[in-house]
Amino acid sequence: MGALKRTLFYDNHVQAGATLVDFGGWEMPIQYPAGIVDEHIHTRIKSGIFDVSHMGRFIVSGREATAFLQYVLTNNVLALDLLQAQYTMIQNCHGGALDDAYLYRFYEDEFLLVVNAANAEKDWNHLNTEIKFFDAKIVDRSAEIAMISLQGPDSKTVLKKLTGSENLTEPLKNALGILDYQGAPLLIARTGYTGEPLGFELFAKASQAPEIWEKLLELGAMAIGLGARDTLRLEGGLPLYGHELGLDNDGNEIPIFSCPLAKFAVSFAEVKGDYIGRAALAKQYLGFKKIMERNLSDLSELPRIVRPIAITGRGIARAGCKVFKAGKEVGVITSATMVPYLKAEGYGLDSKITDEKAMRAIGLALIDGDVELNDQVDVEIRGKMVAAVIAPYHMKSDAPPFARPIIYGVEIERQFDSAPDYQTKALNLLERSYDNTILRQHQTINLIPSEQSHSAAVRLLSVMDPSFRYAEHKKTKSFYDYDVFYYQGTAFIDEIEYLMMEEMKKYFNCAEVETRVISGQMANVAVFSALMDYKNRVNRKVDAKRLGYVMNNHIIKGGHLSAQPMGALHDYIAIDPITEKTAVVNFPVEKDNPFKIDVAETKKVIAQYQPELIIFGKSMVLHKEPVREIRSFVDDQKLGSIIMYDMAHVLGLVGDHFQDPFAEGAELVTGSTHKTFFGTQRGIIAGNYDKDDYKYGLWETIETRAFPGSVSNHHLGTMLGLLMATYEMNYFKDEYQKNVIHNAKYFAKCLADAGLDVAGDPAISYTETHQVVVRVGYGSGPEVANRLEANNIIINYQATPEEEGFTASGAIRIGVAEMTRFGFGDKEFAETAGLMADVILRNKDAKEEVTKLRGNFTKLNYCFDDEAIAAQLEKLKSTL
Amino acid sequence: MKIVEGLKYSKDHEWVKVEGNLATIGITDFAQHSLGDIVYIELPEIGDTIGKDETFGVVESVKAASDVYLPVSGTIVKINEALVDEPELVNADAFENWMVCVEMDNLAELDELMDATAYETICND
Repeated sequence: MGALKRTLFYDNHVQAGATLVDFGGWEMPIQYPAGIVDEHIHTRIKSGIFDVSHMGRFIVSGREATAFLQYVLTNNVLALDLLQAQYTMIQNCHGGALDDAYLYRFYEDEFLLVVNAANAEKDWNHLNTEIKFFDAKIVDRSAEIAMISLQGPDSKTVLKKLTGSENLTEPLKNALGILDYQGAPLLIARTGYTGEPLGFELFAKASQAPEIWEKLLELGAMAIGLGARDTLRLEGGLPLYGHELGLDNDGNEIPIFSCPLAKFAVSFAEVKGDYIGRAALAKQYLGFKKIMERNLSDLSELPRIVRPIAITGRGIARAGCKVFKAGKEVGVITSATMVPYLKAEGYGLDSKITDEKAMRAIGLALIDGDVELNDQVDVEIRGKMVAAVIAPYHMKSDAPPFARPIIYGVEIERQFDSAPDYQTKALNLLERSYDNTILRQHQTINLIPSEQSHSAAVRLLSVMDPSFRYAEHKKTKSFYDYDVFYYQGTAFIDEIEYLMMEEMKKYFNCAEVETRVISGQMANVAVFSALMDYKNRVNRKVDAKRLGYVMNNHIIKGGHLSAQPMGALHDYIAIDPITEKTAVVNFPVEKDNPFKIDVAETKKVIAQYQPELIIFGKSMVLHKEPVREIRSFVDDQKLGSIIMYDMAHVLGLVGDHFQDPFAEGAELVTGSTHKTFFGTQRGIIAGNYDKDDYKYGLWETIETRAFPGSVSNHHLGTMLGLLMATYEMNYFKDEYQKNVIHNAKYFAKCLADAGLDVAGDPAISYTETHQVVVRVGYGSGPEVANRLEANNIIINYQATPEEEGFTASGAIRIGVAEMTRFGFGDKEFAETAGLMADVILRNKDAKEEVTKLRGNFTKLNYCFDDEAIAAQLEKLKSTL
Repeated sequence: MKIVEGLKYSKDHEWVKVEGNLATIGITDFAQHSLGDIVYIELPEIGDTIGKDETFGVVESVKAASDVYLPVSGTIVKINEALVDEPELVNADAFENWMVCVEMDNLAELDELMDATAYETICND
């Protein structure tokens, strides 16, 4: 060990008793006294810190910095927004990897490129050769900026404590943030090399770095050596240069597309122009596509790809071991070892990670393209054939804050007791249904904001004839738009639908409604489909263009699933060819109130993207949406954006007490009719286009995308029920809406007084809707929700705008609409708040008190219940 | 690092405990410490005849696989099967957790092994 280089943390490592080795010319810790197994486990269940300062850190800037990076890297630099990072390759002209790297954009005018330690000099020389042709410069800042990786479920808490900062980054992978550490900027990135759903890389001022390292240890992180870094990345299925990238065992170059991350790291966007290796990579991509599509006749463009492999026999595979399938050599192990994990007990959200350690032999293998997932193979270990299988993955990170090991072959079994004979099965079903109804209607305080009990009349009507009937109808131009029905026996439902449309128009104060969609999600699908169809109406001889840009509320900020690309927007949203991402932009939110749209910032985003469609509305909703302000801005700017308000949650609050969407400038309103509205479970589309409006054609398209586009028969029973619910709403809404909003504000105050952490702005009593959001501690939402349910209080767990996903939820979402209908007022909501605090804060058993409180409020209000109505209901019931 | 008096040691970091013509063999504390977390142990079959300095098994840590060599020639008469399921026992106590017991062919081979003091010297080099 002659002239080994040392990082800024060398003294920290020596002091900690690390075993130091030569790694790419650096004297680095392979492990600390805890050992690889414990270091691995600690990172997975708490947090670990890694000295990654041996890696190269280059700053690229200048007028042609982007053009330079587009040329020397495989990813699309124009997809990189400010405060984002991306994984990329540094490629050669044959489509092989000189290195893999991460590109960070902390500042508008410069990029930070982080490369592997062992390749840093090679990369530096290569990049300096290429940069001569560009008006750009590259500076090696490796010595000035120290780099620490902090990974694991506790990493967020540890980093908050270190910096004293509540806001780190957006809760998304690859998001960046700039914090302050004792007067110097501390750059943080949600990146890492462990597969952890929570993890950060820290770029610190060199002089502060050793101190930061020690503070992170004091805060509970464990120092992790290169040994566990390797087992962690292997379990996460992440490639290592020299194993899955670079040269293979025989000294041949591994094509970049053999690496599973290539599809994220390589871009063929037109804006990238010609770049190093583009043609070779394009050819590899064709081969990759063939493998993915199981088109296996000719795999010459890409013969092998890297796949996870699980050893099912006894033994540990190592890099270089050959892989056989039915006696034929099909590949080679690129990385493999035995990795530790902690066993889990129970299922789903209730599963608990135990203290029981176990080991498993896993690896990655470069395997022939025609070897398939789940294929049984053999690995040759010291001359012996050991059984193995091609696995989909070794670990999953989609239930933050924990990464979960996936053991090959584990299957979840569920069993419910069921009687042996059908008479008993049938009887049991009726009994269970009765018990469930009593539980939910008499014994449970239902506080789910998207639910609502229906009146007896609404419920009964929903199962009456014509709930078994069929109806389809369509406006016909030849008959002056008179609806033509395709079935006989539809006179009754024709009348019902007509009456309902009139009632709904009155409720929304609008020109048109479409009532046939049977859910809110379907309402949105029909609208998006219609908008796309309408956009393409002039030329139908080419593939229809999708919608773009669309502005919505981000799902993490409470946006509806039904307005997201992963939801109802999926088949209708364009991909922006420059960024290669869905053409969606989100409403910016206020800095100190993430529940509220920032109107000034929104205007800037609208001016920049000129969205075709702006979708207001949220599922976690505490505020009115700024419809009026955005309408006037869009009109002033003559942008022509269509303004839609998905009112699903707040559909029953339309009017003076909340918002009047059409009066404020919305053109379209969609929603589900059973959250704050009085039921039944259906959807609705309302539009404010008069027949002489040039956009009336759009409305007609919406109608045809409802029928025949989305439904044929439109569930006639619940339509009958919905007419009654609409009568109830139009008659009782003033009192109901006023009470719901009052109760939500009062309940929020009581919850806060009871010691709970109520989210939102206290200046408006936390909420302007039927919802209240209470923070219960990071990741505790699901457990608290279960505990409340065990005490007969039913709420939703909810991820707040700072959290990574539903399993990491640190809040609960509460709605007061249903219990308001059952007659809860100040006194009852105050008592409920106290009981909830008992359960949440003191883990008290409150079931009996909850049941007793609820038992006194089982009569539904805001519905017609005089004697004549009661008599007629009895008459209807007698027909069953 | 622990070294037990009264045992014989090989340069490959195995220890040998002699009782008559039987030799009980394991790896030393120094060896387990250098290997790190031991996660897999492969042992020979009872009845196998193995020559001096030939491989009799494999000890694998997370980092690497290492062959273990028989310091004296002979026939395997016992193996410590507990190590197959719990290889980490060797990390816990390398001298307590022996690997094989050998009926020696040639007792003179013992003379080529080191005593505790000599072994300690090579460990400290």
